[in-house]
Amino acid sequence: MMTAPQARPAASPAVAGASAPEPAPLLAPLPAPLLDVRGLTISYGNARGTLRAASDVGFAIRPGEVMGLVGESGSGKSTIAMAILDLLGGGGRVESGEILFDGTDLRKLPASERRALRGDRIAAVFQDPFTSLNPALTVGRQIAEPLIRHKGLSPRQAAVRVEELLAEVGIRDPRRVAAAYPHELSGGMQQRALIATALGCEPKLLILDEPTTALDVTVEARIIELLAKLCDSHKLSALFVSHNLGIVNRICQTVTVLYGGVVVETGATGRVLSRPAHPYSKGLVAALPRITADRRHRLPSIPGTVAKLSGPPAACVFAPRCPFADETCRSRPQAMLTDGDGDGVRCWKADALSGTPWPDEAAAPPRRPPTGTAAETRSAPLVEVDHLRKIYGASRSILPWLRRAGTVAVEDVSFTIGRGEVVGVVGESGSGKSTIGRALLALTEPSAGTVLFDGADLTQQVKRGDQTLRRRAQLVFQNSAASLNPRKTVGAAMDRPLVLAGREDAEERRRTVAGLLTRVGLPAAYADRYPHELSGGERQRVNIARALATDPDFVVCDEAVSALDVSVQANILNLLAELRDEMGLSYLFITHDIAVVSHIADRVLVVYGGTICEEGPIGRVLRPPYHPYTEALLSAVPRLAEDRKEAPRILLEDAAAAPGGRGCAFAARCPRKLGTVCDEQAPPVHETADGHRIACHIPLATLAERAAVFPELAGDAPH
Amino acid sequence: MLAYTLTRLVYLALVLAVMSVLVFLVTQAMPGDVASMIAGQFASKEVVDAIAVKLGLDQPLIVQYGRWAAGILRGDLGRSLVLEQPIAPILMEALGRSLVLAVVALAVVAVVGIALGVLAAVRRGKLTDQLVSGVSYLGIAVPDFFWAIVLVLVFGSYLKLLPTGGYAPIADGFLPWASHLVLPVVTLVLMLLARIARLTRSSMIDVLQTNYVKFARAKGMPESVVILRHALKNALLPTITVLAIDFGLILGGVVVIETIFSYPGMGRLLLFAIQRHDLPLIQATILIVSAAYCLANLTADLLYAFVNPKIRHGMRAS
Ligand SMILES: Nc1ncnc2c1ncn2[C@@H]1O[C@H](COP(=O)(O)OP(=O)(O)O)[C@@H](O)[C@H]1O
Ligand code: SF4
Ligand code: SF4
Ligand SMILES: [Mg+2]
Repeated sequence: MMTAPQARPAASPAVAGASAPEPAPLLAPLPAPLLDVRGLTISYGNARGTLRAASDVGFAIRPGEVMGLVGESGSGKSTIAMAILDLLGGGGRVESGEILFDGTDLRKLPASERRALRGDRIAAVFQDPFTSLNPALTVGRQIAEPLIRHKGLSPRQAAVRVEELLAEVGIRDPRRVAAAYPHELSGGMQQRALIATALGCEPKLLILDEPTTALDVTVEARIIELLAKLCDSHKLSALFVSHNLGIVNRICQTVTVLYGGVVVETGATGRVLSRPAHPYSKGLVAALPRITADRRHRLPSIPGTVAKLSGPPAACVFAPRCPFADETCRSRPQAMLTDGDGDGVRCWKADALSGTPWPDEAAAPPRRPPTGTAAETRSAPLVEVDHLRKIYGASRSILPWLRRAGTVAVEDVSFTIGRGEVVGVVGESGSGKSTIGRALLALTEPSAGTVLFDGADLTQQVKRGDQTLRRRAQLVFQNSAASLNPRKTVGAAMDRPLVLAGREDAEERRRTVAGLLTRVGLPAAYADRYPHELSGGERQRVNIARALATDPDFVVCDEAVSALDVSVQANILNLLAELRDEMGLSYLFITHDIAVVSHIADRVLVVYGGTICEEGPIGRVLRPPYHPYTEALLSAVPRLAEDRKEAPRILLEDAAAAPGGRGCAFAARCPRKLGTVCDEQAPPVHETADGHRIACHIPLATLAERAAVFPELAGDAPH
Repeated sequence: MLAYTLTRLVYLALVLAVMSVLVFLVTQAMPGDVASMIAGQFASKEVVDAIAVKLGLDQPLIVQYGRWAAGILRGDLGRSLVLEQPIAPILMEALGRSLVLAVVALAVVAVVGIALGVLAAVRRGKLTDQLVSGVSYLGIAVPDFFWAIVLVLVFGSYLKLLPTGGYAPIADGFLPWASHLVLPVVTLVLMLLARIARLTRSSMIDVLQTNYVKFARAKGMPESVVILRHALKNALLPTITVLAIDFGLILGGVVVIETIFSYPGMGRLLLFAIQRHDLPLIQATILIVSAAYCLANLTADLLYAFVNPKIRHGMRAS
């Protein structure tokens, strides 16, 4: 993997408007930056006023260097990336500044010349591969377009080159993929195709805006590996926009931290992530959930929301959220303080604070003792799932070509959830996690098997129209914006479940709503607000409050924190943990992020292709013996420099076909597959201890021989 | 795609079979009976009965239907009672004239409507957009027959530029033929243009905001390619569906339009058949109009599947 070059070139300080770069040491003549952004100020104008999405932003990327641009969502990362591409839409305007590419100020070029650079010298890959390819055109045609346009190739020559490019980004049958339409490819393949498109004209600079955010972790690991390799072999420079510090750590040599459209820190990746100087950077690093962290601690979070400026800053932008802020911070804007090594920080106290970590969460209530012994928990489970199976879209028809076997979403799953227990479900998208959650809430009817809630069959009850049990089980899901009606106030949205529960006194309901809002840490006055007036984290709090309205015993959290920034994610995770401790709630916590699960869950189910491949107490699942899929999943987790012990990473092949058939669901991608036995026979379940089970044909003893993915965990007693 | 087409054809056959039963039953229930109409007003009961026996009208309904349906399958639509001629040639001639009207109108609506919609979307918020939107609004707010009357008054009666009605066979020359088409076609177009333009505009605006359009721009594609190659093909999906519905509307609207402009197509023929109680002619006309309508829908669905690879391949994948 890439590491920071030993001799850090003294980058020109990213001070706003700095004109003369510092004299470089004579011994190592510096290559001129390929991209040099200076004093870039960008505003969005609309009816309600102007928003400064970037203020006086400066940074430089040298040839062959990958620079990370990090910050919470809304901090202006994409805006800057789009400004470089001249693709700012929606009323965005560059007010001032220079964007020097290879020494030329792009802003001075006519639009047609900038367009000619796009896709040729400067190429881009965006976040969401599922929507970045045109559904109506073949993949090959879309990759060929810039080749034909910029390089003047004939369609036939381009087709040859397209296959080379696809092979280069690791696609095994380029010809088939080139002829395919986007929907016929998996997300990972689509992202590879987009990368192939970007590489086509051999650009000098890549703009990567969250290129892996929408992908599963195992796929993400492979795409990052590919990008790192390509940047290295093609001597590419890249601007890598991301909110994921672990990934930045893996691919970027330098990193620039953005807050409220202002650069607050810049420097070599290793240094910034291991010894962040700016309080905001400290907060971002601290809030990252880590598998290796002590689970009894609450995650530090950054309270508040991203600053939105409308003019030049009059104080430190971070002051409203900074735990170290004082009068000086609030009365004057901060200048970038740089040293000769290319490190810069926009905080006058940075030196004084160098040894001070981001503060721990204040007043953490004592964590409830771990759920009683396994035997006790199991004696009276709250939820019992027995041989659950769900098939979607099966259809019978008299016309033979219309008959469908349907897709198996969940293939025979059994588990229990104890009272006050948090059971995590991890797995990639499409593995059946949400279907399990929906079946537990009787939102979807199982094709086979039963779900007992407190001893009663929830599905049957709901069928009979009896809602009492259902009120005791609630759902919080990912998209906090879509789950609230934009035309209803928060209070009205929370009132509804209360009315449905038969609470007649309006005044009493109002008090309950106020109480619930306070309970999730929001001012009671928020009842009068509309969803668009809330931040993402606040909306998710409202969703949680609404789920709590009927005083449930059990909550299914379906990717409840996945769409949130780490800073906010930590906050919501803490809230959920607190509610569990105080109200004795049980959760089914569904997520694709095993680090998040390791923070909140007592037990974990690792699912693949609708089957449970491993289950057990979190402490056991994180240590060997591992199921081969769990091992790959754990090894794909991006980690910060300080956690990094060079463990060999297990990279899974892209899924070739949907899992199915008689054998092991993971057989098509399993790096340790034994042979036909895996394809033909369902794997046996090995039980180690404490209800830790692994379904695999490999004997337990052999599985136990593998090295720990997180050696730093090895000493701890499980649990 | 093949399986999909097959499925749709099976459905089409089913729908037509049901339609034929309905048409047959409804016309049976209408006042007047065929035998006495053929026999004439003053025929004796014996004569009427004899004719009924000869035509098989004394047999149970199901047998009568079977014979009628079998005839249709052989291409024999029966004889018109009033015109005393085989129906098929008359009907085909009228159908041809109506189809010319409908197809020309639909083509104009599609081309002009889509062009206006795209233009408005690309110049969103600018003067062009406001003009298109304003005119569209007028088009939707004003009732259809109003245009017909205005057009007849202005171009026919006042300016005397165009014939206000009737029909000239193309054998008489292209110009006379075409000039008789202008007013009915323009009326039909005005009925439908606004909706297509507005629909295209809004789906085009949505598509222009998608990531793949952004990505096409990031590849350095010029705006014309972005709009025509990347955006339009996707934006047209809803428009195609509505155009198909419109084709049905035109076929229906043709009855009114043909009456206003005394244009001898299917609409006039149907009206004539109903006024004169010509039961076999009524049956045949309704059946053929229904079949044309269903075929239009089928064509639209196939077209939709063809431009939408997700459907095209979905059919064969799972
Ligand atoms: N088209 C737009 N119109 C108005 N405001 C916008 C627009 N796009 C982004 N913004 C605002 O600009 C700020 C920066 O957004 P963005 O560049 O997307 O940040 P990031 O990529 O870091 O999440 C945010 O406050 C966002 O709401
Ligand atoms: S200047 Fe003050 S408020 Fe701003 S980051 Fe530094 S300590 Fe915090
Ligand atoms: S059963 Fe076979 S394919 Fe499945 S995980 Fe074990 S070794 Fe891999
Ligand atoms: Mg962004």
